Amino acid sequence: MKDKIRLALAQISSKRENKDENLTKFEKITQKAKEQGADLVIFPEMSLTGYVVRDQLYELAEPIPGPSVRRMEDIAKKTNMHIIFGMPELSEKTRATLFNTAVFVGPNGFIGKYRKMYLPTHSVFEEKRHFRPGYQAAAFDTPIGKIGLCICYDLFFPEVTRLVRLQGAQLIVCISASPAVRRSYFEILTAARALENTAFLAYVNLVGVEDGLQFWGGSRLITPTGDIVVKAKYDEEDFVLCEVNYNDIRAAETFIPTLRDLRPELFEELKRSSENL
Amino acid sequence: MDLKPSVLEMNLVDVESRIKRFIKSYVENSGANGIVLGMSGGVDSNTVAAISALAIGGDKVLGLMLPEKETLNPKDIEDAKVVAEKFGVQTQICEITPALEGFYKSIPIFDPSERLSKGNIKARTRMIYIYYYANKQNRIVCGSSDKSETMMGYFTKWGDVAADIAPNMDLYKTQVRKLAEHISVPAELATKPSTPALWPNQSAEGELGIKYEVLDLILFGLERFMAPLEIAEQLGIPEEQVVKVKKRWLGVEHKRRMPLTPKLEFRTVGTDFRLPHGTY
Repeated sequence: MKDKIRLALAQISSKRENKDENLTKFEKITQKAKEQGADLVIFPEMSLTGYVVRDQLYELAEPIPGPSVRRMEDIAKKTNMHIIFGMPELSEKTRATLFNTAVFVGPNGFIGKYRKMYLPTHSVFEEKRHFRPGYQAAAFDTPIGKIGLCICYDLFFPEVTRLVRLQGAQLIVCISASPAVRRSYFEILTAARALENTAFLAYVNLVGVEDGLQFWGGSRLITPTGDIVVKAKYDEEDFVLCEVNYNDIRAAETFIPTLRDLRPELFEELKRSSENL
Repeated sequence: MDLKPSVLEMNLVDVESRIKRFIKSYVENSGANGIVLGMSGGVDSNTVAAISALAIGGDKVLGLMLPEKETLNPKDIEDAKVVAEKFGVQTQICEITPALEGFYKSIPIFDPSERLSKGNIKARTRMIYIYYYANKQNRIVCGSSDKSETMMGYFTKWGDVAADIAPNMDLYKTQVRKLAEHISVPAELATKPSTPALWPNQSAEGELGIKYEVLDLILFGLERFMAPLEIAEQLGIPEEQVVKVKKRWLGVEHKRRMPLTPKLEFRTVGTDFRLPHGTY
């Protein structure tokens, strides 16, 4: 495993309901990331289809692996890159059971997927209307490190990032489609999730206007001590390169030993209390 | 929550850039040649005209001035012209009196003494002119309704509220005034009292029976699920006044929605037919 890797945060707007055009964009940006020395390129939540596609999700969703993922595998193989992106997933066992999923592919093809566990269904969000929640945290051993995935609203629940960290993830990737009115929450939560887990956290958000919703961008890499290494522009498409040095985690873990100080017995109490809210 | 005037303060730089981005993106994606809106000379349409010009360029924004003889106030036209000139907005005056008189004459039950029904003809006639320009010149109709009027139902159904986009509809009136000043609409126009101009000397605050400074705080509290008593106590006003606003706020939902239809089939317009806007 490499000690240092280079990330490309691909903060894009998607062409809604046009997977072909978005796949072409993914390919161009992945090529650019490769040329600039990146090992991993990250695209936002639901960037394959756009976020506000409502009931068209039933037409747009695909099994994973499926046609779009196979095309992304080809791009990853051709460029020798790792790629993470978001898309609506159709369950292979049903005809209309969907998941909001992050897909991870690499130079050897499909690595894995993560199905969003916390589906916002309040305010402008209607994810539970369409999606079934995932039930498993996902951290993957790869040549570029152990990488855990989460999606957008998952960040409000420390257990998701904590679970992937406890599975050994040293880089947590959060893909997002966060509208501008929620920017301040995510600016706090991205730093908090990195810091409390002493892990790197790469956050990649969508931009653009979809049905009046404006996604704010602001993608970033956070260090294990909660500092922002790089930050993409607000509200506009951007492409930002940054470096993760896994060796930094050792110092962070000694300085802020949150993992050493975990108290498993409290989790039982947490479970009991949350069942009786 | 403390219902102080400061709760209505916004980051105006952010608000301006979000509204401009919204307008620009909508016009670009639609393939339209620009925007058309009715310019009454009031703060709402002056603000929308100005911010539209800032978003896509004044040469792509057409402000229609649609006076009629009963409510004609040369100062309103002057005020609209001041903003149009300052922001480079194109303008056109269409005198709508002949059209109105055609309606009055051809409606068998027309009653000139019933001013609300008659006034609504004026608002809907203006809508027809605006949509004619939109169709003919491939423009997007930009509405000027604000959130105070929208939540109070203080508009003509299918009239002044009819539009393709409504950039200010999530801003209360007092917030629109702040935005107007922020984008350099002349101060005296940003604070000008509002009127729908459906009949002579009509005043919005007079008809609503409340100052916008108070109304907006009541609406802000209701939006955040505050109880009328709590709002009344905080604002130092009678609870009945808040209850009255709340009843109207609830009672005019029919003006804000697609027409209701009985649920008969698989997916129904206005209820569970949920398609994205503007993807094709």
